[in-house]
Amino acid sequence: MKLFVSRGLVAPAIVALATLVAWAIAGTGWALAILAIGAAAAIAFHLYHLQLLSEWASGPLDGPVPVGRGSWAPTFGAIYRQVRTRAAYQRDLRHLIARFQQAAEAIPDGIVVLDKTNRIEWANPRALAQLGLDLAHDTSAPIVNLVRQPEFLRYLESGDYREPIVVVSGRDARMTLSLQLVPFSLDKKMLMSRDVTQLEELARMRRDFIANVSHELKTPLTVISGFVETMQDMELDTRQRERFLQLMLEQANNMQRLVADLLTLSTLESEHNVLIDERFAIVPLMLELSNEAKALSKGQHELSLDIGDAATVLGSRDELASAFGNLISNAIRYTPARGWIAIAWRVDTDGSGVFSVTDSGIGVAADHLPRLTERFYRVDRSRSRATGGTGLGLAIVKHVLLRHQAELEIKSEIGRGSTFAVRLPAPRVERAPPTGDPAHSEYQELTNSAAPRGTSS
Amino acid sequence: MTQDHTNKQFDVEMEGIRSGVLSMGGMVEKQLTRAIKALSQEEDADLLDAVGADEAAINQLQINIDQQCAQIIARRQPAAVDLRMVLTVSKIVNDLERIGDEVKKIAYKAAQTRGSDQLTRVRYYDVGRAAANALAMLQHALDAFARLDVERAASIIDEDEAIDAAFSAILRQLISYMMEDPRTITPALEIVFIAKSIERIGDHAKNIAEAVVQVVKGKDVRHSSAKQIRAEVAQP
Repeated sequence: MKLFVSRGLVAPAIVALATLVAWAIAGTGWALAILAIGAAAAIAFHLYHLQLLSEWASGPLDGPVPVGRGSWAPTFGAIYRQVRTRAAYQRDLRHLIARFQQAAEAIPDGIVVLDKTNRIEWANPRALAQLGLDLAHDTSAPIVNLVRQPEFLRYLESGDYREPIVVVSGRDARMTLSLQLVPFSLDKKMLMSRDVTQLEELARMRRDFIANVSHELKTPLTVISGFVETMQDMELDTRQRERFLQLMLEQANNMQRLVADLLTLSTLESEHNVLIDERFAIVPLMLELSNEAKALSKGQHELSLDIGDAATVLGSRDELASAFGNLISNAIRYTPARGWIAIAWRVDTDGSGVFSVTDSGIGVAADHLPRLTERFYRVDRSRSRATGGTGLGLAIVKHVLLRHQAELEIKSEIGRGSTFAVRLPAPRVERAPPTGDPAHSEYQELTNSAAPRGTSS
Repeated sequence: MTQDHTNKQFDVEMEGIRSGVLSMGGMVEKQLTRAIKALSQEEDADLLDAVGADEAAINQLQINIDQQCAQIIARRQPAAVDLRMVLTVSKIVNDLERIGDEVKKIAYKAAQTRGSDQLTRVRYYDVGRAAANALAMLQHALDAFARLDVERAASIIDEDEAIDAAFSAILRQLISYMMEDPRTITPALEIVFIAKSIERIGDHAKNIAEAVVQVVKGKDVRHSSAKQIRAEVAQP
C-alpha cells in the first residue's frame, strides 16, 4: 500500500512542481496549460493500464500477466505472483492425482468406481479385463448392465457389503472372480474384483481328493465284504469258494495298488525326501521298459522301440523308470488290441532329452488335457477302472518330472491316438560318446534287433 | 438413450426397462452356464431344482418388463428412437424367455442321458463346446444391447453361422454312431434334441443382435443376409 501510494504520488508531485515553477516564471496561463497537459497524461497512463488489465482478465487465467509501470507495477506484480503460486499449486495437485491414478492402476485387483446410481465412473485396466468392460463405451453406463450375474445384482441391492461374493466370470466360464463393494465418500462405491480361479481350483481339488480316495477305497471294500457275508451265510462248494476268493484277492490287490500309489505320491511330495541324483545309462533302462511293455501287452499290440541317441542321465533312476513305465502302461491300457505303440528316446539339438510314448489309442479330448495330471481325474471312469487304473499314474508322473525339472508334453487327437513326451532339461542329459565304446555298440545292436515295428507282436 | 428428455421420470423409466432386460439376460446366461455344467459333469442333484426355480423367475421378469413397456407406451406416447427402444425391449424379452425354455430342455435331457456310456464323449466334448459357443454369442448380444454397439451386433450374426455348422457336424457324427450300433439310438436322439436346442439359442441370440441394429439404425434387418446387415451398419 505504501509503495503504491508513494509511486502514485511521484507523477502528480512533478506536475504540481512544474505548475508552480511555470506560474512563478510565466504566469497563470502557462501554469494552467501545464496542469492540463499533466492531467491528460495521467489519465492516458491509467487508462492504458486499465486496458491491459481488462485484456488479461478476459483472456485465459494462466496467460502472461502484463508488466505495469509506475503506480501499476506493484499491482501487476502482485497479480503475477498470485497466478504463479496458483499454477504451481495446480501442478502439484495434478501430479498427486496422477500418482494416485497410477497407484490405482498398478493394484493387482480390479477396481471400478461407481457413482451414486451405480454407474461406472472409472476403472483400472485389470477391472476392464476381468469384467470385460471398455471405458470408451461404458463410462456412465449402469454397472449391472455389464456385470449381469444375478448373484451380483442381488449383492448390490442387498446393501450388505461386508463379505465379498464369488461368481463365475461372465467373460470366461473358467475364471472365478471374487467381487466386493466398498462404499466411500458419502454416495460412491468401489467395486473390487479379484481373480480367485486358482484358489477355487485348489479348494475344489482338495474336496475332490478326499471324496475320490474314500470312493476308490470303498468300491473294492464293498465287494470284499459282500463276498465275506455270502460265504458266512451260505454253504458253497469248493469251486464257487475258489472263484469268490479269487475275486476278493483281485479287489484286495486293487486296494493295495491304490494305497501303494498314494504312498508313492506322498513320498514324492514330502519335503524331507530330497532327490538323490545318480548317473545312469538310458539305453538299458529303455530295454527294460520295452520288455515290461511286452509283458504287459501280452502280444496284443505292435510295439516298437527307437533309441536315437545313447546318453547318460542325471536323476533318480527308480523314479524316472516308474514315471516312464506309467506312461507306457497308460498307452497299453488305452490302445485297443492290434493297435501300435512306439517308445522312443532322443537327444534334441538343444541338449534336452526326450522320452516319448506314441500310441494309436482312443486319444484324449483337448478339454481334458489340462486336468489330466490331477489325482483321480478320469476322462472315462468305467474304462479306467475296468483296465485296473488307480487314477494316480499321471499324478505320480507329474511329481517325478517336477523333481527333475522336466516337462510333460501331451499331444492327442480323439480316435487317432496320443503322444506323451517327457522332456528332461539339458543339464541332466549327457550324450554318450559316439561309437567306439564297446558297451554302447552292444546296446546299439540290441536296440536294432528290437526296433523294427511289429516284430514283437 | 443419449439425449435427455425434459421429463426426468421418462428417462428413469426407459433406463428401467433396459436394465430389466439385462438383468433378465444375466439370469438366462447363468442358466445356460448351469446347463453346460450339466452336460459335462457327473452329477448334481440340485441342478434341476435350481434350473426350474430360475425358469419361473425368468418368466415372471418377462411379464413385468412387458407390463412396463405397455405402460410407457400408454402414458408417454414415445416417438422415434424411444418407441423403437420400447418395441425392441419387448422383442428381446421374448427371445430371452425362449432361450430360458431351451436351456431348461437341455438341462433335463442332459440329466436323462447321463447314464449312457457310448456317447459320453460326443456329449461332453462336441455338444458342450457348441453350448459354450452359444453362451458366448448370447453374452456378446447382450453386451451389444447394453452398449448399443451395432458393429458388435453385426459380428454376432456371423457367429450364428458357426453354431449352425457345429449342429450339422454333431448330427453327422451321431448318425454314424447310430448306424454302427443300434443301442446308441435312444441316447443319440436325446443328444440331437440337445443340439437342436443349442442351435435355437444361437438363433434367438441372433434375433437380439438384429434388434440392436434396429434400435440404433431404425431399419428392420430381420431376414437380411449378414452382408446386407453389415452394409446397413457401415452407413453413418
